[in-house]
Amino acid sequence: MSARDLWPGLALLALIALLPFVASNTALNFLLSVLIVALAAQGWNILGGYAGQLSFGHAAFFGTGAYATAILQLRFGVNAWIGLAAGIALGALVGWAIGALSFRARLRGSYFALVTLAFAEVLRILANAADVTGGAAGLLIRLSPGVANLQFPSRAVFLWLVAATVAGVLVLTAWIARGRFGAQLVAVRENEDAARALGVDVLGVKLRAIALSGAITAAAGCLYAQNFLYLDANIAYGTWISVEVLIACVLGGAGTVLGPVLGALALHGVGEIAKIALGHIVGPVPGVDLIVFGALLVLAIAFLPRGVMGGLRRLGQGLAR
Amino acid sequence: MRTLPTTTRRALLGTAAGGTALLAAPGLLRAQPAPVKIGLLQPLTGALAQDGDLGRIGAEAAVAKINGDGGLRALGGAKIELVVADARSNPEAGVQEVEKLQGEGVVAIVGGFASPICLAASQAAARYDLPYVVDVGVADSIVSRGLTNTFRLAPGFGTVTSAAVENLIRLNDGAGKPCKTVVLVHEDGLFGSGLAKLMQTELPKHGFEVLETIAHPTPARDMNNIALRLRSLRPDLLIPSSYYGEFVLLSRTMRQQRIRPKGIYAVLNGAASNYRFVKEFPDAALGVMDCNHWHDPKNAEAIALKAQVEASGKFWAYNIPLNYSCVKLVADAVNRAGAADRAKVLQALTTSDYSGHIMPYGPTRFVNGQNAGARPVNTQVQDGDIKVIFPTEVADSRPVFPIQG
Repeated sequence: MSARDLWPGLALLALIALLPFVASNTALNFLLSVLIVALAAQGWNILGGYAGQLSFGHAAFFGTGAYATAILQLRFGVNAWIGLAAGIALGALVGWAIGALSFRARLRGSYFALVTLAFAEVLRILANAADVTGGAAGLLIRLSPGVANLQFPSRAVFLWLVAATVAGVLVLTAWIARGRFGAQLVAVRENEDAARALGVDVLGVKLRAIALSGAITAAAGCLYAQNFLYLDANIAYGTWISVEVLIACVLGGAGTVLGPVLGALALHGVGEIAKIALGHIVGPVPGVDLIVFGALLVLAIAFLPRGVMGGLRRLGQGLAR
Repeated sequence: MRTLPTTTRRALLGTAAGGTALLAAPGLLRAQPAPVKIGLLQPLTGALAQDGDLGRIGAEAAVAKINGDGGLRALGGAKIELVVADARSNPEAGVQEVEKLQGEGVVAIVGGFASPICLAASQAAARYDLPYVVDVGVADSIVSRGLTNTFRLAPGFGTVTSAAVENLIRLNDGAGKPCKTVVLVHEDGLFGSGLAKLMQTELPKHGFEVLETIAHPTPARDMNNIALRLRSLRPDLLIPSSYYGEFVLLSRTMRQQRIRPKGIYAVLNGAASNYRFVKEFPDAALGVMDCNHWHDPKNAEAIALKAQVEASGKFWAYNIPLNYSCVKLVADAVNRAGAADRAKVLQALTTSDYSGHIMPYGPTRFVNGQNAGARPVNTQVQDGDIKVIFPTEVADSRPVFPIQG
C-alpha cells in the first residue's frame, strides 16, 4: 500500500463532501449513515483485517462510544465534544480490557470471535437493565443545534465532520500499513508462532490493535449518537452493527486501506439504488433493499473472495497484461 | 466507486421526469386543487411489519373516506395524498424516512408505532417544524420533551397503567376479591420492564401479593420454563405484557400444561386484543382481559370500518382505528388552518377540539402535545369476539371474572 493508493479514497471522500451543494437532505442522511458504518468498519479492519483477529462483537465498542457521549451529556452536563473524546478513550479502554482477558487466555480464531460476541451481548443486556443507560426506554439527547453541542442545523456540516474523520482514519490506516506496526500486525495474522520467533511481542501487538480498533469504532458510535440523538441497548450494543462492519469489510476487502469504506458504500448504495429504481418502475416494494443486500453478499462471496478491492486489483492486473 | 455518479445521474433523470410531469400536470387538471400530502411512517418490514401493515390499512381507509366525502372542504375539495414511508422497524430508518417525507413536502406525519421510532422520528421532524402525530407509541417521554411539533391522540404509558390498576381493583372488588396472588410476566424491553416495575409498587398497596416477576426476551421461542414456574407458583392472576408472538406462545403453553389461573389480565398486550389470536387459538384466548387502545364500540363509523376491514379478509386491531383517527385529525387540522401550511396546521392541532375520530376519547384537547381526554379501555375475549368491559359508558359487554368461578 503506497501513498498513491490513498488518493482514490480521499478523492471519493472529497466528492462526498461536495455533495451537500447538489444533493437533497435524504441523500445526505443516507450518506451519513453509510459513512458512520464505514468508520466503524475501519475500526474492525485494524483488528480483523490487518491483525487477523476476527471479532463478531464490535458492537461492544460502538455502543460504549455512543453511551459514553450520551450519558456524559445527559447525566453530567459534560460538553458533547469532550463526550466524544471520552467516548473514544473509553472505546480504547474496553478494547484493551476485552483483549487483555481473551488474548491472555490465548483465544484465537472462532473462539475469539465467539468471546467478543459474548462481551457485546453482556453489555447489551446490562445496558438494557441499568438505570444510568435509561434501561429499555433508552436515552434521548436533547435537540439543541449548535456547534458547541456537536449538533448542526445543517446536515452538510455533520457530513463534513464525519467525512473528515473517515479521511483521517484512512490516512492513519495507510500510515500504519506502511510502517513497522503494520508489518507486525500482518506477521501476527499470518503466523503467530513465526512472528514470535522473529521477536514480535505478539500479545502487545494484539492489545494495541484491539485498543485502536475499539477507539475508532467507538468514534463511530459517538457520531451515531450525535446524529440520531436517540439510543437504546439494541441500537448501541445490538448485533446489527457487529454484522454490518464485518460485512462491509468482507465485501470491500479486509486488510486493505480502502476496503471498509468501499464495502460500506457498495453494501448500502446498491440496496438504496435498487429501492429507488424499482420504486420508479413498479412502485414501492418494501424490503427490496434487504433482498439486494443479501443477494449482493452471496455474489461477493462467490465471485470476489478478496472483496471489491481484490476484484479491482485483479481487474487492474488483467488490464495491464 | 462507480455508484455515485450513477446515483446522481439517475436522481437527475428522475427529477427531470418528475419535473416535466409536474409542469404538465396543471394543464391537465386545472379544475382540481393541488392534493395535500400527508406522510405515513410505519414499520412495514422487519419485526414489527404486522403492526405497520395494520397501521397502513387504517390510514388508507381514512384517506379513502375523506377523499370520497369530497376532500378538504376549506381547500376547495383538495384531495389527500398519502405518502407511505417504511421505518423498517428501527429508529434509524425512521429518521431517514422523515427526511424523505420532508423532501416530499408533506404537511404532517402520522404514525411510528413503536416508542423508539416515535421518539427519534418526531425529533427529526422537529428540525423542520413538521407536525408529527404519534399513532401508538406509549412512552411518556414522547410528549414530555417540549417538542412543539409532536402530538399524541392516544393515551400514554402512565395513563394506561393507572387505568389498568384502577380497573383491576374495581373488577376484583366487584367479584368479591377472588384474586390475591399475582405473577408478572413481561418482555425485557421498554414496555414490559416499565410496566412490571410499576405493578410491583402499585399492586401491594391494594392488597395483592406479587409472587414473582419473570422477564423474557423478544423474540422468545420457548415458554415451557415460564409455564412450569407458573404451575409451581399457582398465582390467582397472571399479568403478562409481551408482544404478539410471545404471548400467544405463553398462553398456548399454559393451555397445554393445564395451567388455569382465575384471570389473565394483560396490559398493552400485543395479542390479547388481537383478532388473529382470537380466531387462530380460540381456546387459549377465551376470557383473556386486556387494558389497551380500542375503538369506541358504539361509534357507527368505527363499526362500519371494522366491517369493511373484516370483509377484505384482514384482522381488526387497534392500530387500524388509531391511524384512521390520526389521519382524520390531521385532515381536520388542515381544514381548520385553511391552508396546507405547516405552521398553521401546527397551530390548528394545538387548539383542536376534534370529535370526528372513532376512539372513545371525546373531543380532542392537546396539553403539551398529549390529548388530555385519551384513555384506554378494558377488553375481554368472550365467545370468539373481543368485547369492551370497562369503562361502563363505552362497554358493550359485562366482565366474566373469575374465569373458573
